[in-house]
Amino acid sequence: MRPSALLTIAIAIGVVAGTTALLSRENPDRPVAADTTQALPGSATKPAPGGSTQASTGQKAAAAPQESPLAFMLANVASDYRHAIRYPEWSTPLSPNQARAYQGNNYHPVALPLGDTGHFTVTLEKYRFTRDEPILVAASISGPQIVDDTLSATLEAIGNRDAVTSTTLSRADGLGSFAGVLDSDHAPGEYRLIVSARVDGRIIRHASTLTIEPDLGEFKGLDDPFVRNNNLVIPVRFKAREGGFYALAAQLYHGQTPIAQLSTEQRLDGGTGRIELRAHGTVLAHHDVDGRLELRHLHLRQLPARPGDRTHHAFGPDAGYEFAPPDLSSLRDEPVVTPESEQRAELLQRLADKF
Amino acid sequence: MTTKIRKTVQACRQALTVTAAVTLLAGTAHAQLAGHNVILVHGFQMEDLSNPPDSFSDIEQAGADYWQGFWLNRAEARIDWGSDGRIEGSIAQQAYQQLKTISQQGLCNDYCILVTHSTGDLVTRYLLENQARWLQADGLQPLKILAAIDLAGAGGGTEIANLAVSIAYNDSWYNWPARQAVKAFLGIDPEPANLGVVNDLQTNAARNLAVDPNSIPRLRFVGGGSSYGGVTKPFIAGTDDGVVPTHSACGATTAEGIDSCSNSISLAGKVSSQNGPDALYHNHYPVLMSEGTSHGGVKGGETGNIAVPVVNNTTLNGLRVDFASRTYNKRPWWQWWGSGDQYIEVPGSDQTDMSTLLYTTLND
Repeated sequence: MRPSALLTIAIAIGVVAGTTALLSRENPDRPVAADTTQALPGSATKPAPGGSTQASTGQKAAAAPQESPLAFMLANVASDYRHAIRYPEWSTPLSPNQARAYQGNNYHPVALPLGDTGHFTVTLEKYRFTRDEPILVAASISGPQIVDDTLSATLEAIGNRDAVTSTTLSRADGLGSFAGVLDSDHAPGEYRLIVSARVDGRIIRHASTLTIEPDLGEFKGLDDPFVRNNNLVIPVRFKAREGGFYALAAQLYHGQTPIAQLSTEQRLDGGTGRIELRAHGTVLAHHDVDGRLELRHLHLRQLPARPGDRTHHAFGPDAGYEFAPPDLSSLRDEPVVTPESEQRAELLQRLADKF
Repeated sequence: MTTKIRKTVQACRQALTVTAAVTLLAGTAHAQLAGHNVILVHGFQMEDLSNPPDSFSDIEQAGADYWQGFWLNRAEARIDWGSDGRIEGSIAQQAYQQLKTISQQGLCNDYCILVTHSTGDLVTRYLLENQARWLQADGLQPLKILAAIDLAGAGGGTEIANLAVSIAYNDSWYNWPARQAVKAFLGIDPEPANLGVVNDLQTNAARNLAVDPNSIPRLRFVGGGSSYGGVTKPFIAGTDDGVVPTHSACGATTAEGIDSCSNSISLAGKVSSQNGPDALYHNHYPVLMSEGTSHGGVKGGETGNIAVPVVNNTTLNGLRVDFASRTYNKRPWWQWWGSGDQYIEVPGSDQTDMSTLLYTTLND
């Protein structure tokens, strides 16, 4: 074959291939495989987080296709909700990540942009401080900016803007970290924490919020736990300074494993009262409890009696309470029946069944 | 007249106004969602900071305007509140007057559906924690709530509020882009004393307010578009809708920036590994996401954006479920080979908006 013929064939192949490729190439904005009904790919690489507590059951035969993805999602919500209400709202299972969120007094570092990729970040141990507790303030400044060797921190009452206390933050290391302590012996309420730094010769203020909580009383430990009505009952003693309606939350741990978020609400009169937390059989029956259990992150709230009142907060000892559980062999993994949640689940299911 | 008597008269007057307002709304609208009365809880209204409402009727008018685009005539009642106040303050007081009226009228005797937008998510969470106790103390029935539909929920706060608080304490020369972002969000130059509910929207404040688990399911609808010309986006962690970060809208348990409510599907529907939430708050269920939908667009009136189901698991009650979806492969213009990336979307969702899609699906 002559070279010109070879060239002609090569061009022809190229044109055909190119045209095919162009025709088959999907427009980035317009899908070519549109309006096809397809199964979604398999489950996510991580388990469904948090709210979706549905246990993995493995894949069985495919069910009939749903009319729409939104309908599928609603059916999924109904199913997940049905699973979630196996547990009473006062005894919900906890993943480690949920456990951190529900500890009740978290402070996520707050970063203020400085320009040129610089950041001025303030970190506290927690968001709420009981009156008289020291407030450890840590700050860091990253980026190309030039910063003075000390920063100042001031606590200012929100409302009247009175500066109630201040301190100096000194370099905590050779880099850009600073630390100092403020006192919190001030009227309970919300305060602005203002950390000031001289950056490139100018004062920059980082402002965030914290609260000082009144002394609500004193945690007095636990009474002996016992089993009643498929619950492990853990009585917590608290000496309240004043009567009112209180909510107590705490996390039940076995070793380093969070088991459940427990909560209850009740009226307390002044004096030492007994607040019973209950861990339902649904969160305990699966656990092979060997040895002692712990109650951690106790968080008591004096609930607002009227709209407009503030909620006041108190926290249990950092170490929590360790206790030897009674014989738990009688606890059963039997879903609790809460009439309102049942009705809600039925209504959600009815919505899902429409599709 | 003594101050105490004057306050009592004012409170009675406000209560009467609220009763009349809710009655009027209930009398003129008979819209339901899947057979259940709908109650609307709006979000932050920037005008309240520059021009605080003088009366409840101002708040009510602003509430009606807020939902004008889609939901206004599809609800039996609203809970309106002034953004110049605080949640544990005047907002709770204003909202409670309306809760009382809703209870007295029995609007939730057969379970209501709450539809919230933005800060309405946080306000609702606080009200749900307290409403039963307050209403019972007044001899009224607590509201029975079937579920809350949270559109662009700000229950986890927003970094723009964090920024606003700092900007309020800095001189005017400080960080011009950050100041412009805050000004776009607030409508004013922030001052320490004029931040109102923005104080509650700081990420730490929001995530320490009424977070205890409860049994009311929160269905989350999440946008990822731009608001205010995109000036706010650089200051929000992870992806966002211009106001609310995805970590908040999904119901994630921390304020760490995330890119999607799913670990395997992006806001745009791309099937790939994603920086999704490690955990969600109890009974929080992300349902739909839309990369192009802005913060305001989630509550209606913004078309042309693809909606994506937040699928974490295609197994339902032990059965693997297929559903009508549109999956397709998309390649960049320069790639002439291979199959490209796989996307998932709700068919036809770009022809409507997220609220209409939700409403028509539930009322089909």
